[in-house]
Amino acid sequence: MRRRVLRNLAWSLGVLVVLGGLAFGLPAVNAAIPAAQAVSADRPYPLGYGVTVLPPPGAQLDVTKAGTGTALFVLAGVRYLLVVAPFAGTLRDAVDQLRHRITANRGYQVTGPETSTWTNQGVAGRQGVFTSPGRNGRYAVFLARGISVQVSIAGADLDLRQALPALTASVASILFPGKP
Amino acid sequence: MNSHRAAVTVRPGPAWEGAQQAVAVPAFWLLVAVSLVGGWQVLAMLHTGAAAYPVATGFAVVLFALYAVPFVLVARSLDFFEREPPHLLAAAFGWGGLVATATCVRADEAAHDLLAKLVSPAFATVWGPAVTGPTIEEPVKVLGVVAIGLVARSQINSVVDGFVYGAFVGLGFQVVEDVMYAVNGVALAGRGDAVGPVAVVFLLRGFLGGLWSHTLFSALAGSGVAYLVLHRDRWGLVRFAGSLLGAWGFHALWNSPLLADGFGHGTAGVLAALLLKGTPALLVILLLVRSAGQREAGYYLRQLVGEPEVATVRELSALATGRTRLAARRLAYARGGWKLANRVKQLQRAQARLALDLSRDLPRAAEHREEVRALRRWLVAAGHPDAYAPDGPGTAGWGWVGGCLGAAVLALLVAAAIRALGGG
Repeated sequence: MRRRVLRNLAWSLGVLVVLGGLAFGLPAVNAAIPAAQAVSADRPYPLGYGVTVLPPPGAQLDVTKAGTGTALFVLAGVRYLLVVAPFAGTLRDAVDQLRHRITANRGYQVTGPETSTWTNQGVAGRQGVFTSPGRNGRYAVFLARGISVQVSIAGADLDLRQALPALTASVASILFPGKP
Repeated sequence: MNSHRAAVTVRPGPAWEGAQQAVAVPAFWLLVAVSLVGGWQVLAMLHTGAAAYPVATGFAVVLFALYAVPFVLVARSLDFFEREPPHLLAAAFGWGGLVATATCVRADEAAHDLLAKLVSPAFATVWGPAVTGPTIEEPVKVLGVVAIGLVARSQINSVVDGFVYGAFVGLGFQVVEDVMYAVNGVALAGRGDAVGPVAVVFLLRGFLGGLWSHTLFSALAGSGVAYLVLHRDRWGLVRFAGSLLGAWGFHALWNSPLLADGFGHGTAGVLAALLLKGTPALLVILLLVRSAGQREAGYYLRQLVGEPEVATVRELSALATGRTRLAARRLAYARGGWKLANRVKQLQRAQARLALDLSRDLPRAAEHREEVRALRRWLVAAGHPDAYAPDGPGTAGWGWVGGCLGAAVLALLVAAAIRALGGG
């Protein structure tokens, strides 16, 4: 009986070790390997669906968030996320979608007026400001030829202020495929 | 079937072993602890969704809970002769829905990130689900069947039991994962607390992908655990490894980007590709379940041979599979309506209980024998003394053709509904 219980205990610990290894060990190994990768600011970065952007100088690409249609750059503690996707609605719809996503996060609020903006290519968009406890942010949305680009930038106030010129220039460099 | 093979096919557990014995083993407390931790984590994840989208989250929970019902009924019908205890089935479901989900959410994300870092972001995006999904999820889910085996080894006494426990683990995982996908879909849609994205996920993951999903994969892997419990030898290990590898392979094939473009033929092509990727798993696992079910039925039905007042020869044939049991009830319904069909169903259940008791030399066999005789007297009086299934192989083929055509039409309707809801 005692031997049977001990064997059961050994098997149970084995199951626990496997679960713990996957739930905690694997994330620990992942956390030990840096996700940021240097990226050239001179070469257009392909976001997907034919859209490109010039990353801000000194920014690093988070390879774990990079995939077709998504790119996350980190510049001096500021997160610069671009999401590209086919979009059937209007620019207003695309803006509403991004604002909903932002405000769905607890503590996030869109503040201030929304204004028009343009890329260097001449594609019109809308931009605004949001805030959350400890972080401020900017968002911008562009729509051309059925493809939307949703941009969100977030960081601590001081970091954001310093990085904003380079990030604004990068947002303006978004290039849609074909002529505007 | 010779006696040696029969003894290996089904190994009845001792009748005295019950809940008290399960509590005495460490694995029981492991099961309780990890279920509580997993449950807390899953609830925390759902709470985040429910706080932002209460209506959509509630709708998703109700929808996928209802979706699980037919799966439960089918899985329960597999273990007709030796029913698994509901608390163990609930534990298996809980393992899948709570423990496996909570573990895999963390591990899958880490594995995906590691692929992006060590191989490339593009590879992680395209092949990540095919690599990390089965590699992480199948072992974690199969550990649920192992845990059940550690808590109540006597309850895993045939390969069918492994299929059943595995199916319940997979179903729990599938339901909770689908609810999470649905809530994520609502968040990504950015249209507020809307139920449309939930419906899209339900149609996509529930109908187009639900038939050959975690329930099926885990059932296959679970059968390997049961085989290993019954055969503590090298062949048992080989079968266990084979079943886990099979579950991994079918899962990887389903998650892979192969044929994702639907041969360039739009919706019809994508549906054909889904069928091509999913049908092999469905067919292989159904054949294995059928084979294991027939072997188990053969073992139990032999207990009733030679007692025509308990089970006639034709009734023994009818009891062998779910299809023939249903056919016998349908015949009864045609002859005498619901009441007669219900009595035939009761007779079949009583015969199964008697067979189980006889296989374990239980004293209550006499009680169940009397129950069978009472039902027999009722049936004789009703003019239907033999609850047999009519031979109908001629219609079986047409049934398959009709079923396939119906499934194809349903798939097209579901695809059209997904497009109408904006799911693309």
